[in-house]
Amino acid sequence: MISTQRLEDRTVSTRSLARAALIGTALGAGLFGSLSAAGAQTITVWSGYPEMAPFYEHVAQGLKATHPGLNVKVEAIALREHEKRIALGLTSGEAGATVIELSGSTVRRYLENDLLPSAPADVSAFVKDPKNFDSFFTNDASKDGVVYGMPLFRGQASLFYNTDMFAKAGLTHPPKTMDEYTDYAAKLTLRDATGHPTVSGWSLRLSGGGQGIAEKFWTILFEYGGSVLEPAANGKWKANYANEAGRKTLKQYLDNVYTRKTVTVEMPADAEAFERGQTAMFIRESWVISDIAAKAPDLKYATAPLPIGSIGLPTNLYVKGEGKDAKAAWDYVMATNSPENLVWLLDKVGWLPNRGGVDYSAVTKAQPAFASFVDYPQGYKFFTLPSIAPIDEIMTRLAAQLAAAYSNPALAGNDAAIDAFLKSAADETNTILSREGLLAD
Amino acid sequence: MLQRKRWIFAMLAILPTLAIFAWVRLYPIADTLRLSLQKWDMLSKNKPFVGLANFRELMGDHLFQDALVNTTIIAFGVLIITIPTALVLAALIYHRTRSRFAGFYETAVFIPYVVSLVPAAMAWKWIFDAKLGPLNVLLSMFGIAPQAWLFNPVLSVVCIIVLCSWQALGYAVLIYIVGFKSLPVSLFEAAKLDGASGPQSFWYVSVPMLKPITLYVSVVTLISGFNVYAQAFVLASDAQGAPGRQVRVLVLDMLENSFRNYRVGYAASEAVVLLAIVLVLTLIQFSLLREKGRS
Repeated sequence: MISTQRLEDRTVSTRSLARAALIGTALGAGLFGSLSAAGAQTITVWSGYPEMAPFYEHVAQGLKATHPGLNVKVEAIALREHEKRIALGLTSGEAGATVIELSGSTVRRYLENDLLPSAPADVSAFVKDPKNFDSFFTNDASKDGVVYGMPLFRGQASLFYNTDMFAKAGLTHPPKTMDEYTDYAAKLTLRDATGHPTVSGWSLRLSGGGQGIAEKFWTILFEYGGSVLEPAANGKWKANYANEAGRKTLKQYLDNVYTRKTVTVEMPADAEAFERGQTAMFIRESWVISDIAAKAPDLKYATAPLPIGSIGLPTNLYVKGEGKDAKAAWDYVMATNSPENLVWLLDKVGWLPNRGGVDYSAVTKAQPAFASFVDYPQGYKFFTLPSIAPIDEIMTRLAAQLAAAYSNPALAGNDAAIDAFLKSAADETNTILSREGLLAD
Repeated sequence: MLQRKRWIFAMLAILPTLAIFAWVRLYPIADTLRLSLQKWDMLSKNKPFVGLANFRELMGDHLFQDALVNTTIIAFGVLIITIPTALVLAALIYHRTRSRFAGFYETAVFIPYVVSLVPAAMAWKWIFDAKLGPLNVLLSMFGIAPQAWLFNPVLSVVCIIVLCSWQALGYAVLIYIVGFKSLPVSLFEAAKLDGASGPQSFWYVSVPMLKPITLYVSVVTLISGFNVYAQAFVLASDAQGAPGRQVRVLVLDMLENSFRNYRVGYAASEAVVLLAIVLVLTLIQFSLLREKGRS
């Protein structure tokens, strides 16, 4: 039997040992940590496109030779979550340096609030050099003539069409006018015995959250000569879709869904449906080419430019950080724009690099589907989302309105109802612009 | 003197807990109330006071109204399904307590409550799929045409109610079983002597005796119903633009206003409305329970 005194002695000695072990561990960990910190540098890359993760890792691998101690942590998540992460991360402060991928339209708020630093002189000179970038991209990465970001890639839309399905429907070339799009969709739709479509003729974005619905609507609206927002003098804007172009666009959606029934809201849609042969054609960005190569390499398809022009939505890289960490991050950003890495980006990921003067022919020859994105017709036009603070709210609210319109069969074939809907949606857009002091007279 | 010392000791002992509670519970609520009266874009240092302008704008905001209507329908829909079903299931499980399968019954009902929400919602998304989902296959066996569960404006709300009820059921059943176990056996024996059948005992003895439990479960279910978010988000999301219809609920609308539209003050005013709703429901619970206590 152990006496009380011995028990207390033993407890005290156990406590002392435990304390010594804890202190030792803490000191050891601290020493080890500082030794590691002295030799290594970590930067984090925040991306809103999961398919970009291999590219950023590839760039990091390439930097190993010149920056052996640089550790690059790539965190690529879905775009909407990425936007939330930036909103919270930049305002609450992040340790270390972070390379942030953002579109020029979304970054505006952060620049206006001095939450992102301007680019260092060498990066700025590189971005301003017309041999590297068209002024469209330089301006998108700048504010008031000061460069803040490095242009990297852009979203640009083309038509993807299944050549086997076109041949079966007796169609020899892609549609060249918007009227042809609907006619083609009707011919390409496959139906069951009851007449329900089983393969959609033209996959349209009809549902979902975020602003994707509004961006797709704008793309077709653009083919009719319209735009969601129209610039006026003094940096002011106004809604520009409660008009004939808007009516034609919405009518085309409703005509396909409810009158010709070439597509339904519940049918599989987008790239996945195209890869599985569940739709004959759809409009999307170039990343689909690499997606098809990976997931449906035997698919027979081609791409074609849109009738008038396309969205051109540049994405840039920005750096949040200070001192040596920031320097390492900008070195990394510069490396993303090396010709070798940009060719890799086009080949393996499929997003279109913005830098000019780089020979992409090896990729475009091997994958002819890129041709419509690079060799577009003379006079082909582009539009982009305006760099104004409330752009996301405008697009998200318009998307919510459009989703409701697409699921309302009463609008189909009813021009007066379509006009009323468009006026109501445009009024909402103008109210947001007015609230932010951006509404043109 | 001793009394006073004890009182001071008690206060000092409770102070750290009170401080933590005030910091993590009361301060965020007070700050949300303050933010709801300001215009703030999350990035700017300026937060101008706008009075009740955010609340006035809310009244005319069709997205907020949609969210409020959808959330209320979902919360009460879940309540209407969960409470009677949980009560009946708990009664059945309780009266099979001696069965060797009793543990299995309880676990089977409780598992959905502990399963991670996202994979569960993904599984339900597949069940509701218009083209490949087993639900439409089942319905077609009875000659019912396939339904676009996740796209129809009414059916998509029904889907969320079903998913939320499926999850809430486990917790409600568990609480009811505890309630059943606390009921005096003598009452049931007396009812049996008076010739009451099993269903009669359930209806005339168990249900009234379990009223406090029902009130508690109702309010907890209703409050969690008003906080629905992830279910609506997952059922409508997809990797490549082939999602379902986005059922707008209050929390989702708040997140959108905060992080997409950069309107934190406006989102805070929505949070205040949600807080008021939850507060009223809690007050109803307290008043009903107090009445029960007095009687």
